[in-house]
Amino acid sequence: MKERIGIVYFKILGIVTLIFGITDLIVTIGGNDFSWGVLEISSDMFRGGWGGLIVISAGLFYLSSLKNFLEIHQLSKALMASILIWILAGTDIFVRITESIPGGEGGPWFNSLEGFLSAYIPPYPPVIFLLPFSLVILFFVGKRKKA
Amino acid sequence: MTLTTDERWDLIEKISHKVVTFGKFEHTLKDALGELTVKSLTGIPIAIAVLYGFWSIFSSFAGTLCTDGFFVKLFDGHFLPWMQSIFPGKGGWFYYIFVGDPAADNCFEAFGVLTSGLFVAIGVVLPAIFIFYLMMALLEDVGYMPRLAVLIDTIFHKIGLHGYAIVPSILALGCNVPAVTATRILETKKQRFIMMTLLAIFIPCGAQLGIMQEVIPESIGIVLLYLIFGYFIFGFILNKLISGKSPEILIDVPPYQKPLWNNISRKLRMRLVGFLKTAVPFVLFGCAIVNILYLTGTIDWLAKILTPLLTGWFGVPGETVGPLIAAFLRKDLAVAQLSAIEMSKYQMITSVVLVSIYFPCVATFVMLLKEGWENLLGSLAVLVTVIFLYGGLINLIWTLLGVQ
Repeated sequence: MKERIGIVYFKILGIVTLIFGITDLIVTIGGNDFSWGVLEISSDMFRGGWGGLIVISAGLFYLSSLKNFLEIHQLSKALMASILIWILAGTDIFVRITESIPGGEGGPWFNSLEGFLSAYIPPYPPVIFLLPFSLVILFFVGKRKKA
Repeated sequence: MTLTTDERWDLIEKISHKVVTFGKFEHTLKDALGELTVKSLTGIPIAIAVLYGFWSIFSSFAGTLCTDGFFVKLFDGHFLPWMQSIFPGKGGWFYYIFVGDPAADNCFEAFGVLTSGLFVAIGVVLPAIFIFYLMMALLEDVGYMPRLAVLIDTIFHKIGLHGYAIVPSILALGCNVPAVTATRILETKKQRFIMMTLLAIFIPCGAQLGIMQEVIPESIGIVLLYLIFGYFIFGFILNKLISGKSPEILIDVPPYQKPLWNNISRKLRMRLVGFLKTAVPFVLFGCAIVNILYLTGTIDWLAKILTPLLTGWFGVPGETVGPLIAAFLRKDLAVAQLSAIEMSKYQMITSVVLVSIYFPCVATFVMLLKEGWENLLGSLAVLVTVIFLYGGLINLIWTLLGVQ
């Protein structure tokens, strides 16, 4: 039963991740940032281009892990896909943190509380939205360890 | 009786079957993850992600947070005006050497020993080196580096090296000095020569990367691309030209493990102290020498003589001769100097590539000499050829694209 849930969940997550990755690449090739509600996709070669390639890889890792999902090698693929997303999302959050601390050119040494918090308001890149969903893999890893 | 390689392996297998007891091995999740990182189909995207994270953290910590966030403010807003106001003899040569241009309003333009020298060493290079070595130590401790070596082994064989060449290559991204020592892990003279030459020419050190991130953030990708292409093209050529063996290696790949903070802090402290001892005196000394050369008119004289070569063959302004001389002392200093010269984006890219592939900095030069003068002379001969060929080629590419 758990395997079935895992397969359906990571199939959906894999497809969504793949779509986000492809969109990242398309936006980068297009050369203009894309913004839709709380979602923002950068056309920057580093974040959009290389980042897009990594998101596509994560999507493919998820999809290739579906067959016999709880088997150790298959589960490791899904875990690796999540690690890729954690690297991207982690670095994105780190960039926001580094930008939010200093007071800016001509300003005080440290940012005001308002300025600090405003660095964390949306829009966010796709990987930030994928981050909480990718954490579900920890549940399956934990289950396997117990078993 | 001489055995062939296959026969030796057969013999090893027979002996091992007799003397080794094989138990039941169960794959753990760590093992499975480890396998994914060494298979090329899955390992390459993972390596790209690791390098992506590495670069992203490096640039946002060193550039955005430390240098732009605090040190620029500290040095440009407080330290420079203070030095300009308290240092005696404004306009004199002593003032010019130690404080630099009295009209400058930022440390990149002042170019004094105590202003730009200290700013580059402490405000730009130190945070870059700190974060670089911290992440490097983390990757080593986790156990990712040997896997990267296995992954990249096939590519390195094309240039006469093997997977472990990744160790000096990545160390050189921090500082070329320990990287030259690290070439001793390669087995043959041929391999060591190729590695030393390539890292001295094509691998920018952490200090240089930090300053490039500060001065030309939008073009750094193109500069690195040129250097990576150069690394493999000239590595391939050297492998074909130089006689000698490039043997296979067996790499012991340890399991992934939790990093130990004690290990990391010890490695970090050791590397940082080593770097500061080598770099800071050279940055300050470099500033002084370049200023003296400017004051005595040597750089203007050299610029006049070398302008036809610099503008005609490389397509860069004659004023770049100053930074090229500074590059021998410190390459980060040279890139900082380039930022004060007026030139197009493409000339800037060519100039930064030239500074990178031009003569190794004096500290690396000394290390190369320690490894043997034959190696040093050989590397220098390759270096001169590479500068002219590659520098001219880049200029040709810009001309053909119509952007020069």
